[in-house]
Amino acid sequence: MATQYNIPVGAQHIALLEPLHFKFTTENEKIMKAEANVGYVHRGIEQACCSKFKFRQVSFVVGRVCGLCSISHTTCYSQVAEKLMQLDISKKAKYLRMLVIELDRIHSHLLCLSHVAENSGFEALFMKTMAYREFSMELLEAVCGNRIQYDFSIVGGVTRDLRPDVAKMVLEKLKIFKPQLDELVDIYSNNYTLGLKNKGVGVIAKDDVYRLSAVGPFARAAGIPIDVRNETEDTLPWKEAGFEVVTETTGDVYARNLVRLKELYVSMRIIENVINGLPEGDLAVDFKGFPSGEAINRLEAPRGELFYYAKGNKTQILERLKIKAPTFSNVAAMVHGFHDNEYASAPAIIGSYDPCLSCTSR
Amino acid sequence: MTRIETSFETLKNDVAAFYKMDKHHFITMNGVDLGNDEIEYQWFFCDYEYPCAETMFVAKANANVMVPSIREVVEPAWVAEAELSDLMGVEIENADKGFMLDVDSDEAPLRKKKK
Repeated sequence: MATQYNIPVGAQHIALLEPLHFKFTTENEKIMKAEANVGYVHRGIEQACCSKFKFRQVSFVVGRVCGLCSISHTTCYSQVAEKLMQLDISKKAKYLRMLVIELDRIHSHLLCLSHVAENSGFEALFMKTMAYREFSMELLEAVCGNRIQYDFSIVGGVTRDLRPDVAKMVLEKLKIFKPQLDELVDIYSNNYTLGLKNKGVGVIAKDDVYRLSAVGPFARAAGIPIDVRNETEDTLPWKEAGFEVVTETTGDVYARNLVRLKELYVSMRIIENVINGLPEGDLAVDFKGFPSGEAINRLEAPRGELFYYAKGNKTQILERLKIKAPTFSNVAAMVHGFHDNEYASAPAIIGSYDPCLSCTSR
Repeated sequence: MTRIETSFETLKNDVAAFYKMDKHHFITMNGVDLGNDEIEYQWFFCDYEYPCAETMFVAKANANVMVPSIREVVEPAWVAEAELSDLMGVEIENADKGFMLDVDSDEAPLRKKKK
């Protein structure tokens, strides 16, 4: 038996964007075993939401759970609170939520792709991807008022309307982005050296996704069409807006790149359909009363299934709020995905996992 | 959402009878402090169908009672069990402490404070 070495990666490491710790047990250059520790940034947000803030304020608090998928948290919480309050929001508010969720998905997926490129040693592609991503940040600022942490969804609807000039700007910038995305797809699909770093690396097979209950692009890259947008229409009309699920089959870093890239086309189509078919209606419904009973809600964040559980007790303060982030669901599969890979591939694999520890630890 | 009442004695068998890994995915485990040291434990599942159906297993117990693990049936449950063990300050079978909280953190932040 070869000598085994334990190699710690993180909680602070050049390949990590967030405080996550892996302990690799390696034999020669191969990773034989991996362990993960995610508990570095627990902020007590669930407890704060059930003790310090009124239920109408909580959508603003959970928007701070994560900078990358802020709209997913605010929308998912707003939806679960609307279920507790038995509110039916306007179709316009639903469309505007979809618009911002998909703009957010574009910037989040491009951020992930850029870091996969960087962690694969392709610095120029990292910079190109980040440069192309900038338009989505500008659009989010134009639509929501902020580049990140946009307090757009509230209990009962949304906070801002879409101005005609902003709608026109969104459509124009999407037209500019389309050939840029084609170029990125070509590079990520066909670049020889990137292929060496990404193809057949960090494979999570279909059976492992089922066994480990993985979600998001992680699962779709292995061929499982798990996507909350594909599973329910009770909160947002995704299929009416043009949603189609994207899957790949090989389950490696390369497939995860392709899933994210192809999902950008779907996001663009949804955004165009939302703007061209934006219905008239109120931005938010007025309501009175306090939440009671319990409810759950799921929403497809950029990294996968986001889950909220809320329990009300007929007061302003919730009895319990539970947040389950997509990265949390993927921890078991992440650990498994390193097995039998070269240690040198670990940074690219970590990048392709797109882990978000702010969400996971909350 | 389908709510299935269970107990610690029958939990593993109930989940095993229900869970098919290619039909359901495990969402998470949750705990709600009901006061007086009683906790409601919840295990959430969702199927892969359209429209999807969510199922919640529920068991109530005193906070001092060891919670059985379902990881023999649902392998990724160890993550949620380790988290809940830290945040609710309860003992869960085979769950390691310190997964979600540092050693110098406040213990059991999600438990109601006794007045």
